[in-house]
Amino acid sequence: MRGIDYVLKRIGFAVVTIFVAVTINFVLFRLAPGSAVTNLSRVPHATQQLRHALEVQFGLDKSKGEQYVIYLKQLLHGNLGVSFEYEQPVSKELRIALINTLPMVTLGTLFSILIGTLTGVIAAWRRGTPVEALTVSSALGFYSMPTQWLGLMLIIIFSGVLPTGGMTNEFLLNPGFWQHLKDLASHIVLPSLTLGLVLYGEYTLIVRSAMLETLGEDYILTARAKGLKPWTIVRKHALRNAMLPITTLVALSLGYIVAGAILIEIVFSWPGIGRAVYEAVLQRDYPMLQGAFLLLTISVVICNLIADLLYFKLDPRITE
Amino acid sequence: MRKRWLAAAPLIIAALIFATTATGSGKKAAASGGTFRVGTASGIDSLNPFVAFNQDAYSTFEYIYPVLVQYNSHLKFAPFFARSWHSSNHGKTWTFKTQPHAKWSDGKPLTAADAAWTINIAIKYEGGATANLAGLVAHITKASAPNATTLVVHYKQAAGNVLGQFQQFFILPKHIWAQHLGHKGAGLKRFANGAPVVGSGPFNLVKYTPKSIALFQRNSSYWGVKPKVQGFGLQQFSNDDAMVQALKAHQLDALETVPATAIKTLRNSGFAVSDVPGLDQTDFIINSNPKKKKHRELLNLKVKEAFDHAIDRKKIDSVTFLGAAQPANSIIPATTGSWHNPHLKTVSFNLDLANKILDKAGFKRGSGGIRLAHGKKMSYNVITPTDVQSIPRTFQIIQTDFKKIGVQLNQKALDSSTAFSVMSGPNNTYQGFDLAMWDWTALIDPDFMLSVVTCDQYGGWSDSGYCNKKYDRMYSKQQLTPNQTKRRQIVWQMQAYLYKQRPYLWLANDDSVSAVSKSWVGFKNTAQGPFNELNIQGLTQVHQK
Repeated sequence: MRGIDYVLKRIGFAVVTIFVAVTINFVLFRLAPGSAVTNLSRVPHATQQLRHALEVQFGLDKSKGEQYVIYLKQLLHGNLGVSFEYEQPVSKELRIALINTLPMVTLGTLFSILIGTLTGVIAAWRRGTPVEALTVSSALGFYSMPTQWLGLMLIIIFSGVLPTGGMTNEFLLNPGFWQHLKDLASHIVLPSLTLGLVLYGEYTLIVRSAMLETLGEDYILTARAKGLKPWTIVRKHALRNAMLPITTLVALSLGYIVAGAILIEIVFSWPGIGRAVYEAVLQRDYPMLQGAFLLLTISVVICNLIADLLYFKLDPRITE
Repeated sequence: MRKRWLAAAPLIIAALIFATTATGSGKKAAASGGTFRVGTASGIDSLNPFVAFNQDAYSTFEYIYPVLVQYNSHLKFAPFFARSWHSSNHGKTWTFKTQPHAKWSDGKPLTAADAAWTINIAIKYEGGATANLAGLVAHITKASAPNATTLVVHYKQAAGNVLGQFQQFFILPKHIWAQHLGHKGAGLKRFANGAPVVGSGPFNLVKYTPKSIALFQRNSSYWGVKPKVQGFGLQQFSNDDAMVQALKAHQLDALETVPATAIKTLRNSGFAVSDVPGLDQTDFIINSNPKKKKHRELLNLKVKEAFDHAIDRKKIDSVTFLGAAQPANSIIPATTGSWHNPHLKTVSFNLDLANKILDKAGFKRGSGGIRLAHGKKMSYNVITPTDVQSIPRTFQIIQTDFKKIGVQLNQKALDSSTAFSVMSGPNNTYQGFDLAMWDWTALIDPDFMLSVVTCDQYGGWSDSGYCNKKYDRMYSKQQLTPNQTKRRQIVWQMQAYLYKQRPYLWLANDDSVSAVSKSWVGFKNTAQGPFNELNIQGLTQVHQK
C-alpha cells in the first residue's frame, strides 16, 4: 500500500511539474525583449503592412492573457501551434528534428554510459595505482573541455577521413538502404564521439566516487575475507549498491537526449532539435520554443519518474 | 578465451565502422555525375515566396522561377522572361513582351497570364498573406495579359524603380498556387511548396531538406540557354570551420562565402578564391532622433564629424577583415555602380583634427580625460548585435581611438532581436540608445537603402532614429522620377546630404569572397556572391574542366 502511495505521489508530482513548466515556458520567452515580427520583417521591401500582418497572424496583437488561454486550449487538443519562422506545424518541425537528433545523441550517451561506468569501476577498484591516475586525469580532461572546442579539434584531425558536417551526404539522390546506412554511420561518428567523450568524463568520476564509497563498507571487507573473487565482489556487492546515484545520472542523461546537444549540432551542422531550439531563440519563434521545451520537460520528468520507480525497486528503505 | 573475444568485440566493431565509413567521404561523392556541390553558411528558410526571408531563398527563386528582367554583368537591366518592354501614358503603363512557347516544369504553358495573376494576387492580399511582396508592387493598380506574350502593368503614378522592383519579383505558376488561396489568400502562406517544385527556371529544385540541402537539376524544358552543369546542390553548414574543412577534403566543390580567416589557407591549398567588393557595409550608428532627450550632444554635427575622423578605417579593413574589405563612405556602396556618388571621399583618420573639433565645440576634458557635454561625461553604450561576426574586433579598434579623443565607449552586445527592440524603444520612440554598430546589405537599386533613414521607417527599418522632412521630400522625388539619369542626380544629392548629416558613420564595405575547386570553371562571383538574385550567371555557366 505504501508502494502505491509512493507511485501515485510521484506521478502527481510529475503532472504538476509539467503544468508549471508549460506556464513558465509561456511567460519566460515573452519576457525577453524583441519579437518574431522584428526579425522576420527586417527584409528588403518590408512594409508596415507586413509587420501588422505578421502580428495578426501570430496572434501577437492579442493580450498576453488571451495568448496564454489560446496556448492552453491548443495544448489540450494536442496542437503545438505553427512555427512563426517556417509557417509549418511545430509538431512536424519538432518530429523531423527529433528523429535526426535521437540516433546521434543516443549513440554518444550510450557510449559514455558504457565506457564511463567501466572506467569508473576500474578506477575505484584499482585505487592508488597508475590505472586510476590515468583514468581520472583523462576523465577530468574530457569533462573540462569545452564541447565546441573538442568538436572542432576532431573535425581538424579527421578532416578528409570522415565528413565534417551534415547528417548524410545530401548530394546523393535516392541512395539504397545500405548505402544510406553507411553514409549515416560515417556522419554520426564525430558528433557522437564528441558527446560521448565529454559525458564519459562525468560518468567515470561519478561512478568512481560511488564505487569508492561502497568499497569502503564492512560488507565488502567481509566478502574479501570470505575469499570471493574480485570481479564477483565488484559485480554483486559494490556495483549494485553504487547504482543509486548512477541511476539518477543515467535517467537525467536519457531525459536530456531529446534536447539534443546544441553546441555539437551547431559545430557539426547536424539538423537536430538542439539547432532548432537555438534558431528559434534567435528568431523569437515562441511556438517552436514552447513545443521544444514542453517536449524536453515531459522527457525529463518521465525519465525522472522512471528513476524514482527504479529507486523503489533498488532501495528497499524507501518502502520502509 | 571466448570471454576475451567478447571483450574485444566492441573495439573490433568500432574499427570496422571506422574502416567502412572512412572510405565513404568526399572522393566518391565528387564523381556524382556532374553535380556541383556548394557549401553555404546561410540557407533557405522557406520555398514559399510569401514566407521566405533569407537571401538564399530568394537566390533559389531566381533559378527556379521566371523573372521579368535580370541584371547583366554591368548591372544594367537585361531581358529574362520579358524579352522587351516599354512605358507609355507618361510612365504610368508598362508593357512587357514575354518569352513565347515557354513551359512550366510540369509541362503546362507558362504565359504572361501567370505574371499578371501573380502581380494581381500580390496586390489583392498585400495587407495580409502577400505582405511579403507588397513593397515590390507598390503603386501598381493592376496587371493584365491581353495575350499569351503580353503583360501590361498599370501604375497610379509614374514610378522611378519599376524594373528594379520587377527584377526581384518571381512569377508563380497560377495553376499550382491558385489552388492554395484559402480564405482571403491565407492559404498562400501555408503552402509548403515542397520539392520537387513546379517552376520554369534553368534548374528544377528536386530535393530540399531544411537546414541541410537544396538540390537542383537542369531543367530540360527551360526556354533559355541551358546550364552547362547537370545540377548543383547547396549544403548548409552552421559552422564555418567545418565548411572550409569539407571543401579542403573535397566533400564540396565550392563555398558561397569564405570567412576572411580562411582566404589564405584556401589559396595555399590550391583553390581559386574570388574576392570582389560586395554589397554589405558595416556602420557605426549615431542615434539621430531629433527628439532625443539624453546626450543631445550626439545631434551636434561637429561631434559627429569628430567621431568620423576618429575611425581608423584602414586598420579595420586590415585587422578585422584581413584585407577583404574597402573603406566605406556612403549609404549606397560603390558596388551598385552608377548609383554611388563618386564625389564622396572616405573621411580621413585624424585624431588631432577630431580633438580640435571637439575642443572648439566646447567639450572640455574632465576626470580621467573623458570630455564633458552639458556637465555629463561623454561616455556611451554602444549596442552591438552578436550575429555580425566582424563587430567585436571593429569595436575594440574604435574604442581605443575614441578614448584618445576623450570619448568613452562601452560595448553592449545583444542578440539582434533584442538589439533592435532596445534601439527602437517602447512605441518606437528611439529614446533608449545613443550609439550602435550593425551592417546593411544593399540592393543594386538604391531605393531600399535610401528608405531606411526616412521618417516612415520609424519602427520599421530605421535603426538610427533619423527623421528629416527635407530628406524625405528628396526620397519621394527619386521614387517618382522615371528618367533614370535625373533620378541618379537626386540619389547623389541624397547621399551627399546624408554624408554631412551622419546618422551613420560608414566603416567598411565587405568583400564578397567565394572559393571553388580548380577542377571547375565558370563559377562567377558577384557583389552579392556567386549564388545571388541579380541574375542566373553564377551557376548556369559553371562546368567541369
